[in-house]
Amino acid sequence: MTESVPLTWEEVARVYGRKIYNFAYRLTGNSDDAADLVQETLLRVRGGLASYQPGSFEGWLWRITRNAFLDDVRRRNRRPTAPLPDEVDRWDLASAPAADIEYSRISIGDDVQKALLELPFEFREAVVLCDIVGLSYEEIARAVAVPVGTVRSRIHRGRKLLRESLT
Amino acid sequence: MTHPGELISAYMDGELTRPEIEQLLAHLDGCGRCAAELQQVQIVRSAVRSLPRLELPAGLILEADAGLVPLHRNKGLLVGAAAAVVALVIAIAAILTPSAATVSLEELNSRYGARASLDPAFGPAKVVVPNLAELLE
Repeated sequence: MTESVPLTWEEVARVYGRKIYNFAYRLTGNSDDAADLVQETLLRVRGGLASYQPGSFEGWLWRITRNAFLDDVRRRNRRPTAPLPDEVDRWDLASAPAADIEYSRISIGDDVQKALLELPFEFREAVVLCDIVGLSYEEIARAVAVPVGTVRSRIHRGRKLLRESLT
Repeated sequence: MTHPGELISAYMDGELTRPEIEQLLAHLDGCGRCAAELQQVQIVRSAVRSLPRLELPAGLILEADAGLVPLHRNKGLLVGAAAAVVALVIAIAAILTPSAATVSLEELNSRYGARASLDPAFGPAKVVVPNLAELLE
């Protein structure tokens, strides 16, 4: 996916909209904030596509996404991030097949999401970009504007902290 | 002894050079602490990666010509007016509704409209699974 550079805004929206949403959701634990971020990011992409220079599209896109997220946090002086409400997945799975199996799986997911929200932002961001979005360390370094060594350190420390809070 | 902790995560993510991999494996050979850390980190990594991928909320418009507008911004006075209307509606509803407020599935959906999906096609592009047995020999 990193090889093909989307050229139109529609393609970016189609290919990356859901990834941006998942990035924001795992960062905030909040579906409204995540939906806002998708819209804001795609607006910025639309404004910036014309001047985009071929290079690391992923790095460029995720830098925009991250900046939109941080601007939003600053602008709203946001409330503390709330954990994922229990109702969501229970409701969602009530009608799903094999609900019992999926339920136990997603209950674990609740714990993981809560643990993510307890991480310092820099660690949470690095872990989410790596494990949820699927970026390489190089791409994360571009997006976050830090050296690759810092990315490596943040991901590892983030995982160790997650492990502590999940134990 | 210096423990090459950060190499552990990078190794799992396929982000190490060949010499770094050799350095790590040589260290793991004689260091139970780091071998244990590798296992711990691997569990966490898998747990995060297996979080369900959420679908975009149904109401989110992704058409360039469809009036893409941030949901909660630039509404100015409208927000205050809307809040007043909402408060009024809630007050009336409270009077008219005999029992405590209930929430419909539709409301839950629109409020927490993030549907879990286990679509494997959405997963991270790169998954490198270290051979634990080999490492821990």
